[in-house]
Amino acid sequence: MRIHCPHCGERSLDEFSYLGDAVVRPDPASPNAQEAFYTYGYERSNVAGPMQELWYHAAGCHAWLVVTRDTRTHEILEVKSAHEVALARQKVAGTAQ
Amino acid sequence: MSELANDIKKASLEASERTGLTVTHVAARRGARASLDDVARAAFGVSLPSSPKAVEARGALIVWTGPDQWLIVQKDETGRDHYAELAKTFNGLASLVDVTDSRTIFRIAASRPSETLLRNMGIDFHENSFQPGDVAITHVSHLGVIVWRLPDGTAYDFACARTYSREFADWLRKASA
Repeated sequence: MRIHCPHCGERSLDEFSYLGDAVVRPDPASPNAQEAFYTYGYERSNVAGPMQELWYHAAGCHAWLVVTRDTRTHEILEVKSAHEVALARQKVAGTAQ
Repeated sequence: MSELANDIKKASLEASERTGLTVTHVAARRGARASLDDVARAAFGVSLPSSPKAVEARGALIVWTGPDQWLIVQKDETGRDHYAELAKTFNGLASLVDVTDSRTIFRIAASRPSETLLRNMGIDFHENSFQPGDVAITHVSHLGVIVWRLPDGTAYDFACARTYSREFADWLRKASA
């Protein structure tokens, strides 16, 4: 499996570390934080198909990446910088308010 | 003492440790990238690379080492403190660390990618793929390295953690055996 790092280009899997589901971490200040964190920690979906995951380019540029991977075939469908994804999410949240 | 006490000189590979350098790691502060670029252009005449590239400017080599991060490699000159000068230039816009003593830079003199590199590394060193001025952050034999091809294309530099420089030198010897 090879991952196309948006910063470094295509690299072998052994340069990356896997964290897991790229689901958004709940807001610890929200009123239902306890339930939200329970769901976040324990009620993960076991996707058979494309899934967004967090990967770390540990032996490369040290950037966190959001990788869309098909869990059935290991096909990498999309790779984005996690920083860019977070900024885009903040922007969307800002417009929604 | 050089980790390559007996510098490698073979037909297949010629390698030596670079000395007399000041190496500074520069990381842009949040939101300061544009201002940092302005200051860098004034000081060096070039923008800081945004992709894996190394650019030569006014005696310094600026090497991309990740998003908004660079290594600045400068030859020591009597009466000049490169790190202090950079700290003054980039004051408030970037975080700087003098990594001269924590990095060892090996130079592999080759105008074309050698068989040693082609055989032993996970990145594509083909002439058309890894061109002069290109940079890659990767690993060799589990040792993290930053490798760049000099902008004039005459050699490849490998920067690794000094604590692993002996292992890197061992790898080079064995790989070129």
